[in-house]
Amino acid sequence: MSTKTNKSTADRLFEVDYYRVALYGTLVVMLAFFLAPIETGIVTSFKTQTAVAETLPFLPAGGEGFTLSKWNTAIDVLSRGLLNSLAFAVPATLLSGLLGSITAYGLTLVNWRGQVAVLTLFVAGIFIPYQAVLVPLSKFWGVYVQLGKSLGFFWATTGISKDYAALIELTVTHVAYGLPMCTILFRSYYKSMSTEMMEAARLDGATLRKIYQRIVFPLSKPMFAVVFIYQFTQIWNDLLFALILVSSSSSPAAPIVLILSGLGSSMEGTDFALRMAGAFTAAIPTLIVYILFGDKFAKGVAS
Amino acid sequence: MARVNLEGVTKRYGDVTAVDDMNLDIEHGEFITLVGPSGCGKSTTMETIAGLTKPTGGTVTIGDLDVTTLPPKDRGIAMVFQNIALFPHMDVYDNISFGLRLRNYSKEEIDRRVEDAADKVQLVGMLDRMPDEMSGGQRQRVAIARAIVREPDVFLMDEPLANLDAKLRVHMRTVLQRLHKEMDTTIIYVTHDQAEAMTMSDRIAVIDAGELQQIAPPLTCYNEPANLFVAGFIGSPSMNTLAGEVTDTGWVSQNGNIQIDFDPAELGLSPGDRPTMGVRPEDVYTSEKADTVTHPTQSLPATTDVLEPMGDEIFVYLLTDDIGAEKMALSEAEQENQLLMSVSPDSTIEEDQRVDVVLDRSKIHFFDAKSGEAIAHGIEDLAGVESASTAEAEGDD
Amino acid sequence: MFDSFRTVTRQLVGGEDHRTSADSDDEIRTDGGVAESRRRTGSSGGVLKAVRDRFGEDFLESTPFWLPTFLLMSLFVYGSIGWNFLISLTDFEGFAQEPDYSNLDFEMYVQAVTSEAVQTAVVNTFALLVAFTVVCLAFGMVLAILVDRGIRFENTFRTIYLLPMSLSFVVTAQFWLWMYNPTNGIVNMFFGVFGLGPYDFIGNPNLVLAAVIFALVWQFSGYTMVVYLASLRAIPTEHYEAAQVDGASTVKMYWRVIVPQLKNATISASVVLMVFALKAFDFLYSLVGNFRPPNGSDILATKMVREAFQNQNWAYGSAIAVLLFALALAIIGPYLFHQYKHDNL
Repeated sequence: MSTKTNKSTADRLFEVDYYRVALYGTLVVMLAFFLAPIETGIVTSFKTQTAVAETLPFLPAGGEGFTLSKWNTAIDVLSRGLLNSLAFAVPATLLSGLLGSITAYGLTLVNWRGQVAVLTLFVAGIFIPYQAVLVPLSKFWGVYVQLGKSLGFFWATTGISKDYAALIELTVTHVAYGLPMCTILFRSYYKSMSTEMMEAARLDGATLRKIYQRIVFPLSKPMFAVVFIYQFTQIWNDLLFALILVSSSSSPAAPIVLILSGLGSSMEGTDFALRMAGAFTAAIPTLIVYILFGDKFAKGVAS
Repeated sequence: MARVNLEGVTKRYGDVTAVDDMNLDIEHGEFITLVGPSGCGKSTTMETIAGLTKPTGGTVTIGDLDVTTLPPKDRGIAMVFQNIALFPHMDVYDNISFGLRLRNYSKEEIDRRVEDAADKVQLVGMLDRMPDEMSGGQRQRVAIARAIVREPDVFLMDEPLANLDAKLRVHMRTVLQRLHKEMDTTIIYVTHDQAEAMTMSDRIAVIDAGELQQIAPPLTCYNEPANLFVAGFIGSPSMNTLAGEVTDTGWVSQNGNIQIDFDPAELGLSPGDRPTMGVRPEDVYTSEKADTVTHPTQSLPATTDVLEPMGDEIFVYLLTDDIGAEKMALSEAEQENQLLMSVSPDSTIEEDQRVDVVLDRSKIHFFDAKSGEAIAHGIEDLAGVESASTAEAEGDD
Repeated sequence: MFDSFRTVTRQLVGGEDHRTSADSDDEIRTDGGVAESRRRTGSSGGVLKAVRDRFGEDFLESTPFWLPTFLLMSLFVYGSIGWNFLISLTDFEGFAQEPDYSNLDFEMYVQAVTSEAVQTAVVNTFALLVAFTVVCLAFGMVLAILVDRGIRFENTFRTIYLLPMSLSFVVTAQFWLWMYNPTNGIVNMFFGVFGLGPYDFIGNPNLVLAAVIFALVWQFSGYTMVVYLASLRAIPTEHYEAAQVDGASTVKMYWRVIVPQLKNATISASVVLMVFALKAFDFLYSLVGNFRPPNGSDILATKMVREAFQNQNWAYGSAIAVLLFALALAIIGPYLFHQYKHDNL
């Protein structure tokens, strides 16, 4: 709707054609700027070592220079990380979204004094540089709550390696630090909900919990999509917590970004083709999410 | 029986007093309207009755039960909101039956009540529609049906028609009145629209600045406003009010051009007092019509300024000051001495014309300029000073 | 969990879950409805009554919704920050399991503040923060205005401009390593057209920070564009039309009428961008796959992680973390306070 009105305004402003030409020219140059690193990455990932050195970086290599071997290697090395990342990113996303929604409900649509103070603490939590919590965090999981030990019974009976305790740690950690963002996203949504609707439900005798279950939760679906997409991207992409909580990229529980960060460098120099193939492998889930739900992602970052 | 009684209800938000010592006694089956400008505290008053707001002081009684601290759902009330507040993800049936389902009524009972309510507000056959498929008026009827199924002792309606267009609003007024007739329940209705208040209510409670100004049947509020605020708020256009001074022989306006003769002593006034005189536009007549008025005042000279033809009547703005006809803008004092007159549409009156007018003495009001309280309504029985006789002052206080 | 919690609170509130027997409410329920219990909170006593009065009707009933998550979040965020501060006062280092809390002092801070490496990191952090934020805002605003000109394929343009933001720092670091590489990177080929270079952007300490900032701008200007676009869309068309009627040129119209209205968007976008900049650790780490970022690009974030997790100078790392936290607070604090004051949270 607004596009339409703007269009008519713009039409009048740009009556002379070359304005439009310049406008679209600039937009296309920008397009090239944003796509160049990705484009050169894609073509390079299909090149042999010699082709990488000898062909132009933005042109695909044909014939001899074309190979799928880098992708094969990358997928081989990273598939373990891919599964690990999924194993904590998905539950952490679902949990932080659901808990964020419930928290935002209790802090927005329910009437009590002091909400703003609690909310301020949540909002501040978004902006904390994680470095300020890293040492305690690593000591907390490494010394005080050793899931590898405390859940010993679980590892023993299921035969799962204790190393995978790191995935639980990552899940809890991401939920805890993702809560502020999820809560605030839901809060901004709930603030626009009609308080009269809540009052009507209350007059009908609904308890706070019933109001959430029957009214707020069903009406939150669009926001859940936004929050899930945002959270999944954030958690999938995060390196810092993975680096601190998983001992090394050789750990069986290493998330994909952790393995990727060390991929393709060796004594002989950097294998760029392998790095590019690896980068895309790691980016595929977020790219899929972005391409399918790009508008929701935009909504999430805009608020 | 559901009497509703507010005793000394006060609501403060920090330093702001939204409702100040409100006392209301509402009879069972009464349709009562709380009316006042926005921000006057009428909605807060209603919220304290609904239990959505807890009063800072005072008690609310519904029936024989002190409900001041009870949660809304236990008060035997139902409420209709301005923003309609339907649940957008539920169809009409689910919206109407929401409260009943929460209270675990039997399926048959719910069906019976929903159908009954739908019938009352003419929604039969629409029960499976979603709110966004309905017009504003239909949605408001769903909201009313949602209140009806609860079979409450008291209906609370917070500006339920404010978001509807003018035509629909008039239609919904009759729907509500019919409903009230059929259902024999107490309805407490909040609006800022004095016309709505006048047309529907048994009594109206005029509220300003958190305080009750007057509670009385609509015509009493119109004919005998308790104070300047009610006089100005009820009736459209507003009552003319002119500042002036009491003399030995009556009252004279600030510019000396409007004189009304009576014995001030009979109203308890003495020369030098400065009461405000009020008279409604329909009680101002051109002097040709003076013989149709039982108790006309003496002729008062004026100049017509602007005319507003409304179709069924013409509003004539009269200037009582001696100013040139060519004057563009009026000074503040001149505006204060303006008088609005309503004349029949066949009148030949023109702009910028000298005209003599008379006021209907039985419809003249005097108010204390400081407190705003009414001193007298109608001075037709007050004789001039020469022939002083018994007086009748109906001043409310 | 909610149910049991509610039962407990109900009992605490005074255990007066009593019914009022015959009242007007029951009269209307005799037709098949189930009469329900009626709780009179007004007559209940106890401490929790006072709590209810102090915090409002729904306080107790609402706690199950927000309190558990609030505690979890507080433990991890604020508990950790406090603990981190405590650790920074100790001499904790090496493979020791626990810090010794008996001897607390500010020695680590003295060490950090006087260290040349930390000072450089502070300067780099500021340079990164300011340059990245300013360039991102300016570039994003231009993009937003261009996209807002009623173009065709607007969605496509917008989607692609925002695309890099969906990628991990680890991924984009790989891309830019390849873009910047001196032998056949696209950036150097571009400079080559003008007869310049090749430059070793990552290896040269004088260039690396600018190169990193450029890459980050690439990744996040789409974000500023989206924020500005939302803000532009909120400006009524009448403002454009009024400016045109008054005879303002397009440039003047934007500069005088439109850009000033983007102030709020600029403030909130800057805050978020600074937070992104503080998280640039991931990018720098991934450039080299190592705790030591390229020479000349060490910022507080990388320095802190390196000291703590590579050199095991836990207390020293914690002290640097506190400095970083203070820096972030200096930026975020006023913003949050402003939002709080204006009830915008």
